[in-house]
Amino acid sequence: MSTCDRGADVPSYVLGALAGDERASFERHLATCSACRREVADLQVVADSLPLAAEQVAPPRELKDRIMTVVRAEAQAREAEESAPRRPARSGHEPWWRRITLRLAPLRAAVAAVLLLAIGAGGAVPLSRSSTTEVPAQARFASAPAAQASLDVLNGRARLKVSDMPGPPAGKVYEVWLKPPGGAPAPTNALFSPTRQGSASVDVPGKVSSGDQVLVTAEPAGGSAAPTSPPVIVSNPV
Amino acid sequence: MSLTQLADEDLMPLVRRGDAAAFEVVYERHATAAFSLAYRMTGTRSAAEDVVQESFLSMWRSGARYDRARGSVRTWVLGIVHNRAIDALRRSMVHDRRRASDEGLEERFEARDRTDIEAARREEAEEVRDALRTLPPDQSRVIELAFFGGFTHTEIARMLDTPVGTVKGRMRLGMEKMRGQLGGLTEAIG
Repeated sequence: MSTCDRGADVPSYVLGALAGDERASFERHLATCSACRREVADLQVVADSLPLAAEQVAPPRELKDRIMTVVRAEAQAREAEESAPRRPARSGHEPWWRRITLRLAPLRAAVAAVLLLAIGAGGAVPLSRSSTTEVPAQARFASAPAAQASLDVLNGRARLKVSDMPGPPAGKVYEVWLKPPGGAPAPTNALFSPTRQGSASVDVPGKVSSGDQVLVTAEPAGGSAAPTSPPVIVSNPV
Repeated sequence: MSLTQLADEDLMPLVRRGDAAAFEVVYERHATAAFSLAYRMTGTRSAAEDVVQESFLSMWRSGARYDRARGSVRTWVLGIVHNRAIDALRRSMVHDRRRASDEGLEERFEARDRTDIEAARREEAEEVRDALRTLPPDQSRVIELAFFGGFTHTEIARMLDTPVGTVKGRMRLGMEKMRGQLGGLTEAIG
């Protein structure tokens, strides 16, 4: 047992049983306490062994397909970015979009798929439940009238949540766009595919400002510089 | 040499450079362990799939964060899955969703001696289960509620109507016994 007063929290820490603020506080303590660090190392090996106690259940094949669709799309996008790093932005040419002047973000990161954001909770700044604003969004799937979408917005960060959303057409992924008021949608590096149950939680890269809308379109693997199909999700202005 | 012959630790630099095929090999090797942990924690297949999808995509995008000095790829993978599952549990407060008994039975992983590695893993798994089983129930319970249930020590204390200090003490006693019992296994895992 650690000689430090805070040593009593070591088992909770390695088992993941500290609440968020307690955990942060304990990690700050760890940075300065070698006795607790030693004890964490001792007990961490036990915690690391615990997953072995779970009964082994094979994941469904479709799960791998969904994950690899996104991974391959992002790998392709990264390759494209590396081989043509200064590719000029194309102007939009799809009929539904022609009415709007496209102002593509220079060298947008859609193709720089070294993404810091993530589908789900892996993204930039976690949204706190206490002061998050929910912004409604319209889901437009003829084949899935029950599909729902909304945004959680906090401190200029938005997370798109969808449910009962059909998967993208074969060979395509969903791409998230950020549209300023009266402006053209700027591509983001958020490409995703919903789970088999039709849910997804996607951090929208960058800051959203008042009046911005979040759109989603189905795009070829790797994403597009400009939308090539009508949006399937359109949020209300933030 | 084909990718499947490479050790996990040698695949990770390729993953970091965006090699989807290398990532696929890492997925194949660890998806069952990851899914099993997520399923044990969340209790439903759909939630487990979400957790595994989020975890592997986050690994793909942050391969640079794997540090071989801090343990095996498997430990890293399962650590990420564990954290994601805790996040999911605490986000959705679905602590009552345990044991979806109608799910998954048909897909249970068959225990076959496909490779030496799998056979060794099953032995290790049995050792860990034994170590947990032989703990006094009040110690194994708090460890399981914390690790697999995603509950905080404060929540566990409330559930068991026990002081938090007692919960912490039981966790420590149980883990120390397990450490003694597992001995060489914990070294191998690390």
